[in-house]
Amino acid sequence: MLRQPLSRALALSSPSRAAPIAAKRYAQVQAQPEKVEVFIDDKPVYVPPGTTVLQAAAMVGVEIPRFCYHERLAVAGNCRMCLVEVEKSPKPVAACAMPVMKGMRVKTTSDLTKKAREGVMEFLLVNHPLDCPICDQGGECDLQDQSMAFGSDKSRFTDIHFSGKRAVEDKDVGPLIKTIMTRCIHCTRCIRFASEVAGVDDFGTTGRGTEMQVGTYVEKMFLSELSGNIIDLCPVGALTSKPYSFAARPWETRRIDSVDVLDPLGSNIVVATRTNEVLRILPRTNEEINEEWLSDKSRFACDGLKRQRLVTPMIADSRGNLTPVEWEDAIVAAAQAIRDCPPSKLVAVAGELADAESLIALKDLVNRLGGENVCTEQYFPMEGAGTDLRSSYVLNTKIANVEEADFVLLIGTNVRFEAPLLNARIRKAFLHKETDVALIGPEVDLTYEYMHVGDSSSILKDLATGSSSHEVLKRLQSAKRPVVILGADQLKGSEGPALLAYTQELALRLQDQLEDKEWKVLNVLQRTASQVAALDIGYKPGVGKVLQDGPKVVFLLGADAGVVTRETLPKDCVVIYQGHHGDAGASIADIVFPGAAYTEKRGTYVNAEGRAQQTLPAVTPPGKAREDWKIIRALSEVLGARLPYDNLDEVRDRLAEISPALVAYGDVQNNNYFAQARALAQSLQKPVSGKLDVQLKQLEDFFMTDAISRASPTMAKCVQAVLKQKQSPY
Amino acid sequence: MFKAISTTARLSKSQISRSLPAFSTGSSRYASKDPSSRKEAPKIDTETVIALPEEAKEKQVYDSQICVPTKVDLSPITGVPEEHIRQRRVRIYQPPKNAMQSGTNNIHHWEMEFDTRQRWENPLMGWTSTGDPLSNLKLQFASPNEAIEHCEKNGWVWYLDCPKTEKAYKPKSYGINFSWNRRTRVSTK
Repeated sequence: MLRQPLSRALALSSPSRAAPIAAKRYAQVQAQPEKVEVFIDDKPVYVPPGTTVLQAAAMVGVEIPRFCYHERLAVAGNCRMCLVEVEKSPKPVAACAMPVMKGMRVKTTSDLTKKAREGVMEFLLVNHPLDCPICDQGGECDLQDQSMAFGSDKSRFTDIHFSGKRAVEDKDVGPLIKTIMTRCIHCTRCIRFASEVAGVDDFGTTGRGTEMQVGTYVEKMFLSELSGNIIDLCPVGALTSKPYSFAARPWETRRIDSVDVLDPLGSNIVVATRTNEVLRILPRTNEEINEEWLSDKSRFACDGLKRQRLVTPMIADSRGNLTPVEWEDAIVAAAQAIRDCPPSKLVAVAGELADAESLIALKDLVNRLGGENVCTEQYFPMEGAGTDLRSSYVLNTKIANVEEADFVLLIGTNVRFEAPLLNARIRKAFLHKETDVALIGPEVDLTYEYMHVGDSSSILKDLATGSSSHEVLKRLQSAKRPVVILGADQLKGSEGPALLAYTQELALRLQDQLEDKEWKVLNVLQRTASQVAALDIGYKPGVGKVLQDGPKVVFLLGADAGVVTRETLPKDCVVIYQGHHGDAGASIADIVFPGAAYTEKRGTYVNAEGRAQQTLPAVTPPGKAREDWKIIRALSEVLGARLPYDNLDEVRDRLAEISPALVAYGDVQNNNYFAQARALAQSLQKPVSGKLDVQLKQLEDFFMTDAISRASPTMAKCVQAVLKQKQSPY
Repeated sequence: MFKAISTTARLSKSQISRSLPAFSTGSSRYASKDPSSRKEAPKIDTETVIALPEEAKEKQVYDSQICVPTKVDLSPITGVPEEHIRQRRVRIYQPPKNAMQSGTNNIHHWEMEFDTRQRWENPLMGWTSTGDPLSNLKLQFASPNEAIEHCEKNGWVWYLDCPKTEKAYKPKSYGINFSWNRRTRVSTK
């Protein structure tokens, strides 16, 4: 049974729910200026001065049509669709750019407004091709809808019957975005997105009047990890999705709200499916995580869900080839191997896409058999507080609050590719809040300017001990809301514990000085979607030690990162792989159990800030594949160590027993015991001398990082295209 | 078998429901089947134990006066198969805005939907088939409370899914595109 926290359920009906609590807390306290009264269609509304007419209208529920205006982008004011009549104004005004004035009377349904909209529509349609039947935007096109609602039934512009409509050559901006530039209405949303959010200032306009074109001037790929968002932003069909082109109409698909697991942030997504096939993935608004953006990997790697899938249980035959068998045979064979193995020689390794339900089932199974070796692929130092205190392995500041920061220190992380939407938040703060950023680690392109402090880990030590003379230390100390983000990849080396200890020391020292006692400074950015849940459940991070002991049976739960290889295992070791893709894990396995991917199961994932969210099944697992926790439950039955849960509710009750945070869906809890973690880490502050390095440096490294994206042809094309673009002189 | 039921029932009911406030209730029709519920000692909440004698008396008077059974359960008479009451989960949510469009006209309500079950391509016509009679049932409500009430009435297990979608208010300004000393200055047109 899924439960809602009491406070949440009660809060639903209260109006205070609309108020963004987190944003309010950290907003600068300043005297509220006098509100201005304006009238929208004779409805009075009080708004702060500086509000635009369009925003004021939105407050009373009047939606003014628009093409160029987007609430997350700068105001451009060039489409003129939002023209409205304002009393005593000789001409209609552009609502998106016009600030309100006291006593302003706006008429959004008057004859003049209607005429203005009709006129604008007429102009837009002069050169817009009538190819809606073959246009991918058809059915979800703003121009289509608004021309029906606000347009005229005829055009006075007859010249096109003789001269034809304007035609524009299509651009090639890479393997993700298909351009049909004739359809472009020059709203410049893509240009503004590229320069403001993506930080890749490649788009622009050339020419004037009918000669105006949106493009990159020279043929160039749009080299951004957020490029797919301009497909969503485009109000017409000028920019459409290349992998999804001519695949389906929006009214044919079913949309299932789910959660992305290909990066650690757990962006909210909508999975569009038809006939048991995932056709595309779109972002879903969640202000606390992804706003309304989505990274390219999360959006386009969904075609990897159809390829390289494990569809039937398999057992390696005498020659070592995996041959399809029935579930019964595979489970009996696995049970045999596990029963023959002493519990201390049984190792379970969880991979990056494992859901919390299967993680708990696997851990309970191993524990019931008497074993203790359950670990994750990603490493995290167990010295000091280790994983006992949650504050040391999650993003404590929380993703949305990073926007409010005034100084961000990144340590050994390339946020741009490890968590693209967190980087978009930092960039937003950089642009709009004048936040400054400093980076310790290799010099990478973060899409904004930052202070590069160096890449040796001793810098971190100097900052933590306060002996550094670098400007960054002064900036950190003077900052009111500093944020320190440590990349979890740095922790796997021998200096890992020291780096974590120094980061804790630095962050906690800064936090103690702050006026705002609620503000959290320390953040550790995990690399994978499963890691936080696994650590919450009690998995041991890293496999190094248990593999050295020579295990007899290794159970890989979607472990595809390649940390477990045949070379590191003894010859007679039996490898059982459970997962959804034939990747590194399945290739070394003796017994394969086909599992379900994240679009096929109801699974709990805890994101990097510690927020539990659940994916919903959009399609059914292919072939004989089954939900992961059910496979482990079935195996436990054969092993004679039956797990005490028969349905998902009972598994989740078990999760709640371990930590209520694992089933508090959508909520994130504040962490405590920072000081204790710091105290425990004190003895680990040993001298460090290494260099910090990140795994994902360039855009081509970003696309293929997990079993799903490695199987995706679209992602492979992206890598190719980026490498090709590198050869180009532009 | 009986042992299995009681183990699972104990695990799911007694240990969790005391620690977590549960809002969703299954059908009361099946409550009597749960063997563990008959064995359990009555639960006394903390407030009753620590209440002063006069408070307890007041409460008793209060309790004795109001006893209106408000919970309506239609599940015994709707004829819906047991499978579709006990094993389905209802998600109550506000439909998300379509990322491809800017309009918001069709998302100002609450919806309930059942979990997705298997669909397949029908070999005869290539259409999509399903064996799930509830797969196309999407009801709209003005408020989540109405949806919850409806689910309770039909004995469905429900949960709310409401990510934060309200954006913090920030006045938009055309002028900052041209401000000379801020990073919002527009470089490209």
